[in-house]
Amino acid sequence: MKIKLELFGASRDFSDKDHLEFNLKHKASIDDLRNEIIKYIDQKFQGNENFIKVIKSSAFCSEDNEIISDNYKITKDQKIGIIPPIGGG
Amino acid sequence: MLHTKIVDLKKEKILTSNAEKFIKDSKFGASIYFLGTVRNTNVNKKVTGITYDTHDEMVIKSFKDIYNEADKELNIKDKAVFIEHAKGHLKLGEISIIIAVACKHRDQAYVLSRFIIEEIKKRSPIWKKEYYEDQKSEWLIGKKLNK
Repeated sequence: MKIKLELFGASRDFSDKDHLEFNLKHKASIDDLRNEIIKYIDQKFQGNENFIKVIKSSAFCSEDNEIISDNYKITKDQKIGIIPPIGGG
Repeated sequence: MLHTKIVDLKKEKILTSNAEKFIKDSKFGASIYFLGTVRNTNVNKKVTGITYDTHDEMVIKSFKDIYNEADKELNIKDKAVFIEHAKGHLKLGEISIIIAVACKHRDQAYVLSRFIIEEIKKRSPIWKKEYYEDQKSEWLIGKKLNK
């Protein structure tokens, strides 16, 4: 399945684009997605610790803009947003 | 009565005059304008500006949820609320957020304004990247959003 990961906040430093793309197996979980992102950081940024910290502390949101749990199963191609810890206003 | 918006600074400015137009009504006796602005220091660092990033749909949803919860928790039925947040780069002193509220009485207006900004800080997906005098910059670490 193709996942378009939309980047926000600190995760925008992961790419020059506003998203990343991942191929995951059917019924992969958010935890699996998190691990794929960490693999990407390992390869592209030599395991940048700050980036990995951001990934581990982030929540994720679905296409309908709801925060989803770590065991949420991804069953179709979709957009998912990575939501680093917030600090605005 | 509620107005919410993310103001993309590449396209337009965030203006208090829009808030004034929205909340002005002779049925209200108290109005409060809360402005968040870019401060020149943070944790002993000299700040030169901030870039704000937002998840637009989730932020607008959170603003609406906060307004609806204010109905239940504060029991202030008759009110006007204007919330706009900037997205993009701001210099020192520029406005990042406007929360304008109008109610019948001042105690309601103060409580409502404070309730809204505190809830936004807790749950609206907004991020800031600070820029410093030494040309460095960093995303500020905030609070994890939970399901």
